[in-house]
Amino acid sequence: MLRHYVKTAFKVFARRKFFTFVSLFGISFTLVVLMVATAMLDHTFAPHAPEVHQDRTVGLFHAQMIGPHNRWSSEPGYRLLDRHLRDLPGAERTSIYSDARTVYSYPGGTRVKSSLKRTDAEFWRILRFEFLEGGPFGDQEVQDARFVAVINAATRERFFGGESAVGRTIEVDAQRFRVVGVVSDVPALRRVPFADVWVPLTTAKTDAYKSEIMGGFYGIVLAKDRAEIPALKAEFRSRVRTVELPDARRYEKLVAPLETPFETVARLFLGDRGEEEARPERLIALLAGVALLFMLLPTINLVNLNVSRIMERASEIGVRKAFGASSRTLVGQFVVENVLLTLIGGAIGLGLSVFVLQALGASGVVQYARFGLNLRIFAWALATALFFGVFSGVYPAWRMSRLHPVDALRGASR
Amino acid sequence: MMRHLLKLVWNRRRTNVLVVAEIFCSFLVLFGVVTLAVFYLDNYRQPLGFQDDDVWVVTLNAPEARFAGPRREHAEAARRLLAAAREFPEVAAAAGAFTMPYSNAGWNTGVKLPAGQAVYWVNQVTDGYDRVMGMAVERGRWFSREDDGSAWKPVVITAGLARTLFGDEDPIGRSVPQDPPPAGEPPRQELRVIGVIGAFRQHGEFSEPVGYAFRRFDAQDPEEGPPRLLALRVRRGTPAAFEETLMRRLQAEARDWSFEIEPLAQMREGFLRDRLTPLVAVAVVAAFLILMVALGLTGVVWQNVTQRTREIGLRRAKGATARRIHRQIVGELVLMTTLALAAGIVVVVQFPLLDLVTAVRPAVYAAGLALSAAAVYGLTLAFGWYPSRLATTVQPAEALRYE
Repeated sequence: MLRHYVKTAFKVFARRKFFTFVSLFGISFTLVVLMVATAMLDHTFAPHAPEVHQDRTVGLFHAQMIGPHNRWSSEPGYRLLDRHLRDLPGAERTSIYSDARTVYSYPGGTRVKSSLKRTDAEFWRILRFEFLEGGPFGDQEVQDARFVAVINAATRERFFGGESAVGRTIEVDAQRFRVVGVVSDVPALRRVPFADVWVPLTTAKTDAYKSEIMGGFYGIVLAKDRAEIPALKAEFRSRVRTVELPDARRYEKLVAPLETPFETVARLFLGDRGEEEARPERLIALLAGVALLFMLLPTINLVNLNVSRIMERASEIGVRKAFGASSRTLVGQFVVENVLLTLIGGAIGLGLSVFVLQALGASGVVQYARFGLNLRIFAWALATALFFGVFSGVYPAWRMSRLHPVDALRGASR
Repeated sequence: MMRHLLKLVWNRRRTNVLVVAEIFCSFLVLFGVVTLAVFYLDNYRQPLGFQDDDVWVVTLNAPEARFAGPRREHAEAARRLLAAAREFPEVAAAAGAFTMPYSNAGWNTGVKLPAGQAVYWVNQVTDGYDRVMGMAVERGRWFSREDDGSAWKPVVITAGLARTLFGDEDPIGRSVPQDPPPAGEPPRQELRVIGVIGAFRQHGEFSEPVGYAFRRFDAQDPEEGPPRLLALRVRRGTPAAFEETLMRRLQAEARDWSFEIEPLAQMREGFLRDRLTPLVAVAVVAAFLILMVALGLTGVVWQNVTQRTREIGLRRAKGATARRIHRQIVGELVLMTTLALAAGIVVVVQFPLLDLVTAVRPAVYAAGLALSAAAVYGLTLAFGWYPSRLATTVQPAEALRYE
């Protein structure tokens, strides 16, 4: 049966090429936009190396102090992380690292801007970077405040023209570091691992950071198991309640939730009002709403095209109805036809998105971005295409199936 | 004629309602993009209020200490850094500032006036800032040593803010209205206007002009912290290599601090790119959407015309000219566009009426509305033209025979 539908569909597509072209243009364009958006979200939030344990990692990326008239939100401070984030029950490892800061160097008289992150040794155990040469710095080096650095491939290119860098020295932010490892570039949108140069926390110019509750640092916790995460969050929440706040006259409460990066983005994007619980589903609903709204116009367009072509099929429908085909069978057939068209459009769209994503990656809008397609995005694309096909196919199919056989056979226009 | 057209459109309402819905949606898309474009162009024409060439911005990163930190010491160190920068012959003028144009840091404040809430942006700067930024004081004067030890805090405001706060009266010497402090806090210090400048648009040429006020860093005030940035006007033709010399000098003056040096022109480029890139992406998507709709409408009108061959043939047989047929088809299309536009305009005017859009001036909004309405008419006519021409080529004899 399906084979027969497919055969008929191709006959119909070939009959009026202009209409098929217009339909395919709309479908593939719509799917390109949705696929590019999906690929960018995937690039930013889905588990990719070096964040290989993302499913059992949570972090503290945002803290807020709240008082009757004042509100202060920023990154958490080192003291908050150091005193309260360590040794949570069910945690396998905990890492504290600084916010990435822009630093300047002048190798050979030319200016190089880099992003510098100060980290502990656990950072390299939770995140699995791909080392091109050398290796990470360890606990001993952090403890002794040794001036050692891990750099990325782009920095190696800028300082040493791509030659082997391990053992050589770079000067950033007026400090000299010996390079111990080189990793491949990490996209700038991956906020947790991203930097150009990573150095030990203890090499900071002063110890002032150690006494701060707010500002400048982040922490991530790797749970032993996914199932441990709720208990781990609850424990941290009760610890946060005991934190003594600076400036108690102005602030009376601290909100510092353990979250995934996506949850923090959702919190900040929707306007943080100091909720204890993350509500990422609201951002997901918003994104889905925007996608649906975007699909509305292409859908109406496709429905319009299909409806206006009902009469083209009049004699076919008339004959089938006269021989006893039910409306439901006919709706089924026309929806299958529309889905088939959407799938062809989807295939064209997929090809075009590869092109668009490559151009986006090459344009350098996002530093070190490598937008690509993977199975996950392909599955999303397929789901979107099917949804779009059914969504835009049902109404015209219903209209077609309602055609009265006598009218249809006569070819009346109404 | 009109009634007849209405009847024709009504008779085919089930098909036409979808066409109207499509034009309605396209109008909303077009309106959004066109209004945004008009808004940006309108902003672009307004004066910026400063000159960004040959200005370098040095960000001062003191060792973190935000609460009990040694504010006094930091303010002292910042003054030493400013003095060190001024020693270079390459530096024509230098000043400290809380924030700079094209910087993401901002400080805004509001005050409840009889006419409603007035919100404006604030910056705190040292005395030489007007020379660094090439700003012109229109009335009164800029900050100077004269202001040391005064009982009130001097402010310089933009002409727009002066109008909001004081109407047409002379703002010089008046004190800026402030909301009463929250319970338990000490009373606020008086802010007195000493000068008026034309404009100052921290968020760049595409942002809407907003009220702006400058306050002064007072070296005498023990409560005052350090400026976050130094702004330097370097002499024209200063080589980029001077940056390294400057960096080493500043680093020698304050070893625990970190510095970032960036020409303002480069900050501008990055800032505008970050703001415009998403808009360009949206505009490209909208353009494709509109093209898709235009092609779709062509298809729909074409199909309708072929289906109405018999009706058209009959009219031709009864003596209607090709022109009249053409006018009828185009007339129907115009009628449907008008219906869609009427619905669209009803929706669109709700936004300013419900105060959902406040940043866009009514004139800009109206221009956006007019332009997008014209564009929708233009599009439907342009893409409906060819298929409606086809209708005129129908031969009466053939049409009446048509099955």
